[in-house]
Amino acid sequence: MRAFYGCEVTYPFVAPQVLDAADSVRASLPNKYCDPKIAADLYHETLDEYLVADDVGLDVMATEHHAGINSLIGSNPTFVGIIARQTRKARILSLGTLISLRSDPVRIAEEYAMIDVISRGRLEIGLVKSGGSEMASNNGNPMQNEDRLWEGIDLISKALTQRDGPFSWEGKYFTHRHVNIWPGPYQQPMPRLWAATGDPRSAAECGRRGIVNTLVLRGPEGTRKAWDAYKRARREAGLPPATRDMFGYAAMVYVGETDEEGMRIGSKILWFLNTSLKTAPQMSKFLPGTVPPEAAPQIYRGKPRDGETGDAKKASSELPQGDQEVTKSASQNAAALMSITAEQAIAQGILFAGNPDTVFRQIIDFQRKAGPFGNLNIIGRSGFLTHREAVKGIKLFAREVLPRLEAARAEVQEVA
Amino acid sequence: MTAVGEKLLATIGGISVEILQGGVGKPALLLHGFQTIGQKAPFLSELAKHCSYLAPSLPGFGASERPENFDTIYDLVRHTLDLIDAVPGDSVTLIGFSFGGWLAAEAAVTRPAKLARLILVDPVGIRISDRETRDVLDIFNVHPDVVRTKTFFDPDRFAPDFNALSDDELITYARNRDALCLYTWNPLLYNPQLKGWLRRISSPTLVVWGAADRVVVPDYGRAYARLIPNARFTLIENAGHQPEIEQPVNFVAQVVEFMRGD
Repeated sequence: MRAFYGCEVTYPFVAPQVLDAADSVRASLPNKYCDPKIAADLYHETLDEYLVADDVGLDVMATEHHAGINSLIGSNPTFVGIIARQTRKARILSLGTLISLRSDPVRIAEEYAMIDVISRGRLEIGLVKSGGSEMASNNGNPMQNEDRLWEGIDLISKALTQRDGPFSWEGKYFTHRHVNIWPGPYQQPMPRLWAATGDPRSAAECGRRGIVNTLVLRGPEGTRKAWDAYKRARREAGLPPATRDMFGYAAMVYVGETDEEGMRIGSKILWFLNTSLKTAPQMSKFLPGTVPPEAAPQIYRGKPRDGETGDAKKASSELPQGDQEVTKSASQNAAALMSITAEQAIAQGILFAGNPDTVFRQIIDFQRKAGPFGNLNIIGRSGFLTHREAVKGIKLFAREVLPRLEAARAEVQEVA
Repeated sequence: MTAVGEKLLATIGGISVEILQGGVGKPALLLHGFQTIGQKAPFLSELAKHCSYLAPSLPGFGASERPENFDTIYDLVRHTLDLIDAVPGDSVTLIGFSFGGWLAAEAAVTRPAKLARLILVDPVGIRISDRETRDVLDIFNVHPDVVRTKTFFDPDRFAPDFNALSDDELITYARNRDALCLYTWNPLLYNPQLKGWLRRISSPTLVVWGAADRVVVPDYGRAYARLIPNARFTLIENAGHQPEIEQPVNFVAQVVEFMRGD
């Protein structure tokens, strides 16, 4: 088991009345509410947490979100480039640059190649489908998001692996007549790819491509569904069976000395869901392409229509499996997550918190339900959880939990 | 004559297209706006008394097919020319509403031989103001309640009530919105080059505007009309972005008077 510590660099210091009055705490909240001096402290603290994680044998990860209190990492490669030089041993997961929203994937390949070389081969490249308020922040057409993502991945992969360039690319979304990046990546042929995606259709594509599939806060049932699609897609393509290092799970994790401490501090991470998810309807459920048109009756109606609820349900149940999952994640899931309590979060397998023994058992139990995974992505600090608390949790996890997870490998069956 | 038009499926340039058809008289081709035209829209039955109309759903909208890789304004403009070719007879009045007005203007720039008259109803498609002033409301990126109040003079009476629409109507509504987004997200609802080519429109043109339109304001319409050589601008009071919906009788009267001119 590898464990990647991550911090989204959230910004919880906006007055509650401002957040209450805003219809979205992402994308449209003016940046006058973000003090750059506080932001500097937050960046430095987070980088220090990565150094601690590196010292105690954890790997590290950094995400990317735009223009909101949920994250100040608007440019993932900038942050990861610093981590590449400051850490010494940790694998570094960029999870990731919002590929479909950037106009030139070749530039992304250049950034990643530089980071991989600076880190002397410790980079892992995460691909994030993006969506919601990110589309507004980046001018990305939500109707073409997924197709742009896959073409972008293809172009980045070729740019990173081509040794006899230049080559020409005339795709549907990207054209580049002269691709030849210097240097190429340190790892040969290129760093391992990850994708944080939850719907079975995308998971199947990850399976065919051999991309590490990590599920973010999906709970055991949704996770198992995606991984089943991943494994099935590999079987159907005649590829070797999936192994546990191809799967990751991202959860909120906090280890305290006692259950009381682990719960009390771990609960603070829920700020990420309770406060920073608030997104205007035009950037969530009404964003084109977010749900298939067949789901419109549930999305658009404020209340069920007499005599037609049956039809609406029928329309929903007739959706392809993958789309149904997307529907759930886009609207109902967000609403449910915003009001979640720590006990519910633990029961749903999206928060692992308590003393070392408790957290160990929670992670083993999760794997028994969802299937074994080789990579734990730790959402480790959020909201008002302090730097000092984060450092303590990192050290306890590394010393008391991770070795036990590695030793307990056999307790969870290898994937079929 | 039936009050409600009939829906038929036709193949236009290899694409299966749903078309609303009704009325008798001179042919008029109607290009819908952000949403397809409802079969029971009162302005249609009014219009049917004076002309024979064809109101297709553009590819991806309504029940019309959208072929793979058909996803740009370029495609829609060529499709519009196919539609003009498909209208029976040798003369047609092209009526474009909002988004369809943009396509109608683009098509008219190419001077189709059959195009007798052009009517643009609160069209989008060009940029008038400076680079930091939006001409067209960002309908995908502002709150739906704001879009509602800026679209209609009397939203409580005319805005769609999602709780009252049927499942099929809501699915069509969402499909239309997806299609519109696909074609127009960026740049949002305009072609930077079109403004410079409006001078080529040679058909007599009527530019109709809802006086209370706040999706695109009447001054934008006046500027639009000034860029077209033989255009007249007319306002319809007590109407927003869709004067055909809020003032159907007055709207059709203006259209009929203009069509009678030749």
